[in-house]
Amino acid sequence: MSEQNAKKWVGQSYKRREDLRLLVGRGKFVDDIKLPNMKYAAILRSPYAHAWIRGIDTSAAEKLPGVRGVLTGTDVAAMSKPFPVGVPIPPKYYSCAIDKVRFVGEPVAVIVADTRYIAEDALDLIQVEYEPLPVVMDIAEAIKPEAPILHENIGSNIYSRRFIKYGDPDKAFAEADVIVKGRFLFPKYGSTPMETYAVVATYNPHTEEYVIHNNFQGPFVNHALTSIALGIPENKMRWIVPTDIGGGFGTKTGVYPYIALIALAARKTNQTVKWIEDRREHLLASATQTDRLTYMEFAAKKDGTILGIRDQAIDNCGGYIRAPEPGCAYRSNGNHTGAYQIDHCDRDVMVVGTNKCLTAPNRGYTCQELYFSTERMVDILADKLGMDPAEIRFKNFIQPGQMPYTAAGGGIYDSGDYPKAFQLALDMVDYKKWRAEQKKARAEGRYIGIGFATVVDPSVTNIAYVTTALTPEERKVSHPKSGSGESFLIKMDPLGKVHIIACTNPQGQGHETVISQIVADALGLHPEEVSVSDVVDTYDRVFTITTGSYSSRFASVGTTALLTAVDRLKVKIVKIGAHLLQVNIDDVELAEGKVRLKANPKKGISIKQIAGTAHWDQAALPLDMDAGLSASALWSMPTSKPPDELDRVDSSNTYGFACEIIVVEIDANTGEIKFHKWVSVHDAGTILNPMIVEGQVMGGITHAFGGALYEEFAYDENGQCLTASFQDYLCPTAMELPAIELGHIESPSPFTALGSKGIGEASCMSVPVAIGNAVADALKPLGIEINELPLTPNKIWHMMQKAKAGLPQAEAANRG
Amino acid sequence: MKLEGKYKFAAPQQKVWEAFTTPAILKQAIPGCESLTEYEPQKYDALLKIGIPGVKGTYSGKFEIVDAQPPNQCRMIGEGSGTPGFLKTETAIQLTTEGAHTVVNYQGDIQVGGLIAGIGQRMIGGIAKMMLNQFFKQMSQALES
Repeated sequence: MSEQNAKKWVGQSYKRREDLRLLVGRGKFVDDIKLPNMKYAAILRSPYAHAWIRGIDTSAAEKLPGVRGVLTGTDVAAMSKPFPVGVPIPPKYYSCAIDKVRFVGEPVAVIVADTRYIAEDALDLIQVEYEPLPVVMDIAEAIKPEAPILHENIGSNIYSRRFIKYGDPDKAFAEADVIVKGRFLFPKYGSTPMETYAVVATYNPHTEEYVIHNNFQGPFVNHALTSIALGIPENKMRWIVPTDIGGGFGTKTGVYPYIALIALAARKTNQTVKWIEDRREHLLASATQTDRLTYMEFAAKKDGTILGIRDQAIDNCGGYIRAPEPGCAYRSNGNHTGAYQIDHCDRDVMVVGTNKCLTAPNRGYTCQELYFSTERMVDILADKLGMDPAEIRFKNFIQPGQMPYTAAGGGIYDSGDYPKAFQLALDMVDYKKWRAEQKKARAEGRYIGIGFATVVDPSVTNIAYVTTALTPEERKVSHPKSGSGESFLIKMDPLGKVHIIACTNPQGQGHETVISQIVADALGLHPEEVSVSDVVDTYDRVFTITTGSYSSRFASVGTTALLTAVDRLKVKIVKIGAHLLQVNIDDVELAEGKVRLKANPKKGISIKQIAGTAHWDQAALPLDMDAGLSASALWSMPTSKPPDELDRVDSSNTYGFACEIIVVEIDANTGEIKFHKWVSVHDAGTILNPMIVEGQVMGGITHAFGGALYEEFAYDENGQCLTASFQDYLCPTAMELPAIELGHIESPSPFTALGSKGIGEASCMSVPVAIGNAVADALKPLGIEINELPLTPNKIWHMMQKAKAGLPQAEAANRG
Repeated sequence: MKLEGKYKFAAPQQKVWEAFTTPAILKQAIPGCESLTEYEPQKYDALLKIGIPGVKGTYSGKFEIVDAQPPNQCRMIGEGSGTPGFLKTETAIQLTTEGAHTVVNYQGDIQVGGLIAGIGQRMIGGIAKMMLNQFFKQMSQALES
């Protein structure tokens, strides 16, 4: 296989071939698509968080010159079905509100007009009669019996709940010397990609086919779910994603309800319809991550050995639950115990609804929520035992000799050396020096803190994990699910140049570049001799339910699927070569661009000659061989298996490692956090392109930095979103970001062709809690516990004032 | 959001009370008021056009005067909706005589939804105060003329 490939290009900071077209404005996005007679849509959205719709009058809007038609909930209910979702009683989630609205910004009607201006004007002419209902915004309130109920057919606000045990947690807690407890609230924040949702839809009434250009990022299960909602087979719905998507981060898994909505508008009005979401719509109603309330206990021995974890974790999916939720609650099952040898867990997992915007994965997909509680708890435990937080981590780390390691929840950690990576970070930060600085500062009444996070970064979703939302008994009678497949087609032309047909659906990750590096190494070519077409067209690309760029899949499953296709092509090249040389296939090898005799390397035939023969001279090929030179592969990780009867599942198929060490100082006068030192060390196996890795890591850090310090979708007590513009929803810029030093170790994965695995989400999981731990460490002299984010100066200042006055701290609660 | 304040009119209390309950005068005084019709005694249909960024748009709505104790106090309950969302207000008003003047005290609660809440909420306080000032100024002029 590929192990004999020379690594000439892989591992180099080869410049991204995507960048030139983006920098000179030649990228191709959905908004660049202009079709004949195209019309434009605008969406009327609910100003209420919870209300009955008692009537909609669209007559005035329909009379406005230029308006081609109006779509309302009545049409949507008649033309489509609710989206399926993997919970016991699904809410009736359509692409548009039917008789009730459940969050501010929920679509209520669509106008199709000759221009966007006319469409927007026509929205003013629609009269909607609402009957407002009481709202519920807080997780803890939502599960109370007296809470307003969002969905009458469910009868409570709990969408999904599972009790899961790994090992023998009761015994672990009984044997513990010490038990520590915590309560944590993780905020609702998001991704704010540069490109918002975008859809161009056409319906052909003669063939009953939809053609829909859009910017979804996968997983392709959304294609299947949308076809079910539209009541058509998948092969009647063609989705096309152009070459470029302006950022995904998980948010763009949530575009599919709008694909359905605009498709229905196109069908009803018999027009080609374009809809580009505006920024306000995006912030108000696209998709955010869940906010999560966690109660957690750690059981441990006096020496710091952690025996077990008990937790109740409650995710908030907002007004409706939709796929891939309830993944939020189950996605990290396999790595629930993080980087530590912890065998016993007792879990109460809940997914609930409130009158907030709906959710989707957000870079790190709930591992930021998970580690914000577990990594805070490690520090709280260390504090209780009088141990150093670095020492307690070393005490509990999984050791490199234990790899591959099966974690309590079923995750099969493929590779890693956590002690080595953490030690590198400690050396880079000069830990002892900063502890000394801290001591000095405290004597002076200054607040310096050192925060750690050492986390396992799961990449490559195994679709099986979603079925852990069902009990083992329920799973027995439902269709099993498993897999993580990716597909590639490789073609070699008569001159030996290569074209790769991919369907990885990237949103800026640089896949074209890395594909060209990998193929160049495998076939002895220059990357420029490899062209790549990586776009989605469900009519001409091969894909699986799990295809797409999410869950950092490319570096693991993508590269291995690619090399599987390349290897199949190489087998054919070698067969042709041996045939032309008139020798046995075992007597030749493929090396230095030639098929040559093992015994006499000087005698051989070049790949270029073989390619020419394959295309031009079919008669010269072996009799049983197809003409031409192409090969394909659809490869899935062999570890992608369904959950076992104890709910253990390898929820992701490769596991990297990330650690942050952050030194902060809190300004006692303002509550502002200053960053003295920040070291971020990663292990994602083999590094394919260091420049792209650095970009991904810095992007992840910046994303999480925003979540830790600034970003939160805030609501008032009536369910009104207060952060529907960048004036109130604050994202970090280069100006706010401190200097960050990156470090790497490489522990190649034995499960992937090149030993590589995902990295772009890693620091999103580690940064929020590392900052939380640093601030908690800084404020320890005041007895302040950090159990919520974002850590705004205002919040910290108030905590400090209360602590200094000897007043109790307020319990963290959802804003609103 | 709470709003409260007072305004002093150079007119007797009865005259101020009458002005506050006369649609034609109210229509002139309310900033951006396009129409105001009394469809039942002390119940009004109103159409407002506001040009201030953040809340810009046309609002149609209703308001009514309840618990009226002429010429001393009443409550005004209103709601309106338009492109930028909806607003609901409930304002208590008390009139007292101070020599030749009449002092109007008000305590209001404003609830907003939709675009106004998402974009304009932080500006609402300022906008509401500005519009109230315009309103009182216009009322003063109407009372003096």
